[in-house]
Amino acid sequence: MRVLIVDDHPAFRDLAARLVVSAGFIVVGKAENGASALQQAAELQPDVVLLDIVLPDRSGLLVAEELALQENPPRVVLVSSRSRSDFGSGFAWPERSIFLPKHELSAAVLAALIGGS
Amino acid sequence: MTKRAAQAAVWAASAAIGIWLVLDVVRQRALGVDDPGLYFVVVATTVAAVAANGVARSDRHAVLAVLMLWWLVAAVGSDAGVMWPDSRLASTTYFVFTGVVIGAYVHMALAYPSGRVEGRNDRLFVVATYTVALAWIAIPALFYPGCTSCAPAVPSLAFTGSTFDYSGIGTAFEWIFIVLGGVFVGLIVGRLRSWPRGARLTMVPLAVAGLFATVHFIIRQAAILTTWSQASAALDWADRINLVAVPVAIFVGVLAVRRRRGPLGDLVVELGNAPPGQVRAALARSMGDPSLELALWLPDHGGFVDETGAALDVSKHVGGGRALTVIGPPERPLAAIVHDDRLVGQRPVLEAAGSAALLAFENARLQAELRAQLLELQASRARLVAAGDAERRRLERDLHDGAQQRLLALGLALQLLQNERPDARLLSEAQDQLQAALHELRELARGIHPAILNEKGLQAAINSLIDRSPIPVRTDIECDRLPSPVEIAAYFVVSEALANIVKHAEAQAVSISVRLVDDRLVIEVSDNGHGGATPNAGSGLQGLADRIGALSGSFRLESPAGLGTTVHAEIPCASS
Repeated sequence: MRVLIVDDHPAFRDLAARLVVSAGFIVVGKAENGASALQQAAELQPDVVLLDIVLPDRSGLLVAEELALQENPPRVVLVSSRSRSDFGSGFAWPERSIFLPKHELSAAVLAALIGGS
Repeated sequence: MTKRAAQAAVWAASAAIGIWLVLDVVRQRALGVDDPGLYFVVVATTVAAVAANGVARSDRHAVLAVLMLWWLVAAVGSDAGVMWPDSRLASTTYFVFTGVVIGAYVHMALAYPSGRVEGRNDRLFVVATYTVALAWIAIPALFYPGCTSCAPAVPSLAFTGSTFDYSGIGTAFEWIFIVLGGVFVGLIVGRLRSWPRGARLTMVPLAVAGLFATVHFIIRQAAILTTWSQASAALDWADRINLVAVPVAIFVGVLAVRRRRGPLGDLVVELGNAPPGQVRAALARSMGDPSLELALWLPDHGGFVDETGAALDVSKHVGGGRALTVIGPPERPLAAIVHDDRLVGQRPVLEAAGSAALLAFENARLQAELRAQLLELQASRARLVAAGDAERRRLERDLHDGAQQRLLALGLALQLLQNERPDARLLSEAQDQLQAALHELRELARGIHPAILNEKGLQAAINSLIDRSPIPVRTDIECDRLPSPVEIAAYFVVSEALANIVKHAEAQAVSISVRLVDDRLVIEVSDNGHGGATPNAGSGLQGLADRIGALSGSFRLESPAGLGTTVHAEIPCASS
């Protein structure tokens, strides 16, 4: 599985990358804002994008919606320091996306989310 | 009772009395009797009716006018039996009214001028007189069949056929009436003495007429008792003079009362009763100028406001047929009236009206001031609440972007350490993230509430602030521990001012002074930057002003462009 990591916090990007690798996947790129995320996704065609909801230039949710419009759209794992309940049960998540709070992030969870086809 | 009702009653009663008297005269002539006294009664009654009408011309005296009517009717009616001695109805009317007229007279005289009898003594006396007078006619009527030697001569209404000897009771009644007469004189004289000097003059006509009437009455009673018959004719004439003297006296008194008040008096009363917000309308009504404008001077705002507290530019209304009259000395105006310029010739009247209205103005002015202050207070409270909300949003964002991210990264690092081999680099990364998180949390906490302020006080807290300042700061701080809200407000004044200076002012030096002067904490923060700061620029200075205002302090910003800025705050310290 080829993974693109998008987050504006450098420490998180590096640590998340190491976590993805230790889960047995490949990190194909790291992006720090929405514009570079869309560009790298178009170039590198990853299978999975680990996407922070809060980005400096635009909302990660909008980026997820745009990713869904690409050919061969990747699976999107939306991460946030907020928890699920902060968004409320009626929240409309973008297509082909899953929400994962950052504090639940671990190698095992990633493997379960991504590895399961 | 309104004057309309009273006037209607006067007209109706006058018409009835007029008809009655005409019938009287006709009957007299038919009988061949020519009593000059009757013609005098006609004239007197006419004058009395006119006087009652005059009294009925204002709402104030309407009740009094009705009482005059009541007495008039009783006085005329008590003559009825004399005219028609064979008519039972007339005789009954006669003796009833003979009793009533004495009570009605006393009632009318003591109700002057308001139309109501005031005071316990007066009321008791009126009730006693009515009671005595009605008993005087009721007793013979009930117990004496056809008693012709009784005074008054009563027809037979008796239910008992007794031959009670009335003369003893009759004499007793005559003495009682003499005593009542004396008490009445005493009440009238007492009134003259106890009334304020200005009002006494209006009492004089009625006092004179009343005394005349009473003296005549007492003499008449005495004549009956001593059977002094020659006095009878003179006394009858005195009776008729009474018929005209008392109503005229009341009318003259009422006129005197009305003249004293005059139009200005009415204005004062009306303005005094005008509800707030209606003073302008009341003044416009009495000046006869509906577009009259009333402006009150608010010294705090240095300008004129209208009755609702909204600013009013009087100069805009002047010109084009309108003129301005200022009330009060020019250096300290109290109010201004914009009016039709044709009223300018009546300047003395305007000034007098203005002076008379000053009490109402003061009231309205105080209310306008209060309303303006209330509006400002409400706005300040709203700003404080909004500032609190903005603070909380900032806090949430700072926590989210700062410490939370660090701790999440720390968590990830620890996970990796768990899964992989111990890694010196990973451990030191974890350690860095932790330290950074703790640092950010400390900064945040200090921003919310610096602990050192609680523990060591204002001076220590300010010193710790300047330790972290990139610009050199000179301080002059002299104060001991103060009540907590004061220290907090003072600390935030200094910290906010310093933050603004560092952010905007491009200054080289800052000076802070905090001193206790007469129970007020005086704080000054000045810099030598480029000045030009305003409280509206969202620089947090408005929030400071609101916070200081909530403590009843004062806040001032002096920031001439190019000359630096000085923030000046004073906070009263309630003695704890």
